[in-house]
Amino acid sequence: MKLNELVPQQDPVDLYLPVMSEIRDVRPLTDLETLYTVALPDGRDLGHQPGQFVEVSLFGVGEAPFSISSSPTRKGVFELGIRKVGLLTEKLAELKPGDKVGIRGPFGHGIPVEKFRGKDVLIVAGGIGLVPMRSMINYVLDRRDEFGRLIICYGSRSDKELLFTDEMESWRRDPGVDFHVTVDRGSPEWEGNTGVITTLIPGLELDLGKTVCCVCGPPVMYRFVLLALKSRGLPDKSIYMSLERRMKCGVGKCGHCQINHSYVCQDGPVYHYPDLKSLEEAL
Amino acid sequence: MELKFLASDRVEAFVSYIMQKKTVYAPQRAGKHSVALKKVADPGAVVLDYARTMQSVKKFFLPPRDELLQFNLADQSFAPAEVKPLDAVLLGIHSYDRAAIDRLDYNFSQGHAERNYLTRREGVVWVGVSFEPDEFHFSGSVGIRPHDTEGFDVFLTRARDGYLVEVLTNAGRELTAGFDLPATDQAKPQPGHFHQHIFLPQAKLNEVMGASYNNPVWEETAEKCVGCGSCNIVCPTCYCFNVEENVDIKVSGGTRERIWDGCMLREFTEVAGGEVFRGGLAERQRHRVMRKFKYLSDKTGHPWCVGCGRCTAYCTAGISIVSIVNRCISDYEKHAATAV
Repeated sequence: MKLNELVPQQDPVDLYLPVMSEIRDVRPLTDLETLYTVALPDGRDLGHQPGQFVEVSLFGVGEAPFSISSSPTRKGVFELGIRKVGLLTEKLAELKPGDKVGIRGPFGHGIPVEKFRGKDVLIVAGGIGLVPMRSMINYVLDRRDEFGRLIICYGSRSDKELLFTDEMESWRRDPGVDFHVTVDRGSPEWEGNTGVITTLIPGLELDLGKTVCCVCGPPVMYRFVLLALKSRGLPDKSIYMSLERRMKCGVGKCGHCQINHSYVCQDGPVYHYPDLKSLEEAL
Repeated sequence: MELKFLASDRVEAFVSYIMQKKTVYAPQRAGKHSVALKKVADPGAVVLDYARTMQSVKKFFLPPRDELLQFNLADQSFAPAEVKPLDAVLLGIHSYDRAAIDRLDYNFSQGHAERNYLTRREGVVWVGVSFEPDEFHFSGSVGIRPHDTEGFDVFLTRARDGYLVEVLTNAGRELTAGFDLPATDQAKPQPGHFHQHIFLPQAKLNEVMGASYNNPVWEETAEKCVGCGSCNIVCPTCYCFNVEENVDIKVSGGTRERIWDGCMLREFTEVAGGEVFRGGLAERQRHRVMRKFKYLSDKTGHPWCVGCGRCTAYCTAGISIVSIVNRCISDYEKHAATAV
């Protein structure tokens, strides 16, 4: 077919205009990470899926993608867990309740929760990868009877860098949650597991035919987690992975997040592992 | 198609005539050695016989710097940038550059249709001109010939002492109406021969490029490449961009702008914290070439390279995209031969 016949005819829209939203709460999680509660104007709901992201901007500073940390089951406001690593995030850390930020989104494909319904849900989160995974964890906890067991493996560099420690306590006490945490290097006070996240996987109690897994963490983590899950016998089709890239526009135009033929902001950030195998640059 | 004739000594009068109807952009001398597409003020400055402009017509629809919004820091308010249709005649455009716009139309319409680009695209009357392939053109290999009239309203084919004129659409008839273009019985001359060729059509290239992911050509090209991104910046189908904030000197407000970016630059895939997802020049060259000959053509059946030769002509390191693709083809064929 001729190329000009392939061009879809649809009404053009403004893709790059933010919705000015209000910071409702600012809560430090660690020395580096902060949890922001954000409200869209007029009590509008963000309407996201777990695993999706928004573009957050400050005028005169910049715009960047951040995953949504709250569950869509908790309406009215949404939460962003953000680490201070650059100019924009340094400036965000100075915000107070009442201040404004620009929001675009939600964007991308999040976790396909329908594929997890009725199944045991295994979450493997490394470091700041817990931020988007918390959205799914709370989604499962809020709709407890729609899912089987909830198994959480969380790894962090040190116990000082653990996120959501208060919620972690409630996961630990919840008989319906199988919660495991490890740190690469513990402080003298740390009494829990020490070692990389893959050390948690061999000991997990898994019903292989019933378990669906979602993995999110730093790039270096994925191959090792995949190997560990494979050696447990978890089939590839039961694995979803959330990938980090530079999603500058969020709407499949700017090119920064492209992995081979796939735009992470459109096809991801959450991918079904069998689909990732054709993307050589993914891991 | 009835052919009319525009004598060389009447080109200036023709340009003057259409300038009365609409703003005209056309190739004109820029410095000693270059020709650039610019707004026409002096009809005598228009150059219709040229090899290529450094920048294609892309710059009119996706400007190198494109304001997205204006913000006010005091009250955190903003106003969307005003975007207007180009509403002009683009005169003296080569067929490969018109074909590039079909590709950008696709990119900016599929998925989310973008107002900024699509608004600017409105109101354009396209007047094409044939070209004589030079040592860099290879558009014939991607199915775009020097005399192709596809997408044009009026087309001028170089002939003896002037141009054969085809008026192809209503917009073309409106533009030329009232200017005396006598009918001619001259036949359209044969288009010039290309000196550069890709040895296989795109239908086969999808498979060849798919099998060339680990070809040594990427590392070998990377040894020459300096990662300057010139190939991206001159490409008529590259459209990647970055977004920047520009605060005014009074620090009272400013603009959010998008600027052209290029996948050959190291920072292109860098995320906060310093991770770079295509850190090597070999990976970046592969991405650039695969985007032109595989990723988008798998989806649409059309290569995203239009064979203008710019990336090769302006490469600071003498890298040829035709050589890269032909190397992939010959290695693929060699491999197929040994496999039998």
